Amino acid sequence: MKTIVYLLIAVLSSVTMFTTASAERPLLPLVKKPYKAPDFELKDENDVVYRLSDFRGKVVVINFWATWCPPCRYEMPSLERLWNKVKDNNVILLAINVGEDADTIFGFTGELQLTMPIPMDVNGDVIKLYPVTGLPTTYIINREGLVTHRAMGSREWDSDSIVKKLLKMAEPPSKKSK
Amino acid sequence: MLYLKLIKSGCFLPAVFLVVYSSSVNAVGLKTGVDDQAQLPFWETSTTGMSLRFVQRLPVQTRAYFMARGFKPEHAELIAQSCVFQTVFKNISHADKTTVPSKLEYNLLDWVVTSKGTKSRPKTRQDWAKEWQIAKVKKSAQIAFEWSLYPTRQEYKPSDYNWGMMIFNLKPGAIFDLEISWQQYGKVNKSTIKGIQCAPDINPQPKDTE
Repeated sequence: MKTIVYLLIAVLSSVTMFTTASAERPLLPLVKKPYKAPDFELKDENDVVYRLSDFRGKVVVINFWATWCPPCRYEMPSLERLWNKVKDNNVILLAINVGEDADTIFGFTGELQLTMPIPMDVNGDVIKLYPVTGLPTTYIINREGLVTHRAMGSREWDSDSIVKKLLKMAEPPSKKSK
Repeated sequence: MLYLKLIKSGCFLPAVFLVVYSSSVNAVGLKTGVDDQAQLPFWETSTTGMSLRFVQRLPVQTRAYFMARGFKPEHAELIAQSCVFQTVFKNISHADKTTVPSKLEYNLLDWVVTSKGTKSRPKTRQDWAKEWQIAKVKKSAQIAFEWSLYPTRQEYKPSDYNWGMMIFNLKPGAIFDLEISWQQYGKVNKSTIKGIQCAPDINPQPKDTE
């Protein structure tokens, strides 16, 4: 009888432990050790130049995508909503298209009426600078220019938890310490 | 058994933890059917922390896809005739409330394809890249090909996943067994999906509707 009671307590304890742990499971995995984000310069269809180093002091979200990639297409609307929520708060979003021409890209983005910056990595040079193995892959770069998070596969980018995390990262140090 | 020794020595919590954890990690589920979106057959294996799904791609789809990305007809044909599957591999250890999140790693070079008694492995990006260089396939087509194919090796953190094409280098309609392996929860896991069939080279027409 005593053994059964012990076993019951043990089962309940382990279930509680697992449930508690799962409540805080992150959808934005941290990189093992933050590293300096490789600098790059890319243009969009209107020849607007995006240079990563110009955004030092801001949080930068870099999303590598292509129109033929189903999960990339899936997450585009949530990236656009994220952009609308964070663009005035020191957060930059660069949705970098990999290896496609302007006609192909804007045939797709025109349908969705996307307004976020969409630089074009036509020759696939920039994606080679980052340790990307599949699309979509998204990096978060902090205010100091260090890569802190990497997510493979699509996410609901405008979810409260992600928006809060980005806005928190974008706060100047003086505000954070208050 | 370790858990019996633990119970005998009065360590009930570790014993129960071990029993619950081992049983949940080892149960590999296999299922097959017709994919809702593609309307083509799929094969799926899943267990604690991971799921892997293969959906047939018809040669006619693959042919059209790669020609639209700059491949010459003969090269698009070569890919189309090589048994292509749309593949989705996920680390779902974050979603399972009964286990701790764990990273997942795989290497396609460790996977074994068995068809008619012959063993091989999936044909990787690197294998194809050599052929495209010799064939002088244009750069933009090579880039599209590289990123369309499933990564050869990968480490997924909890919640990470990819989509991509996996190519088994078999004829349309061929049947094969696929032994997959992956590392998760600190050990190498293996599972075999039997009787996967490459899509036949057919050109289905829209069904008549009234």
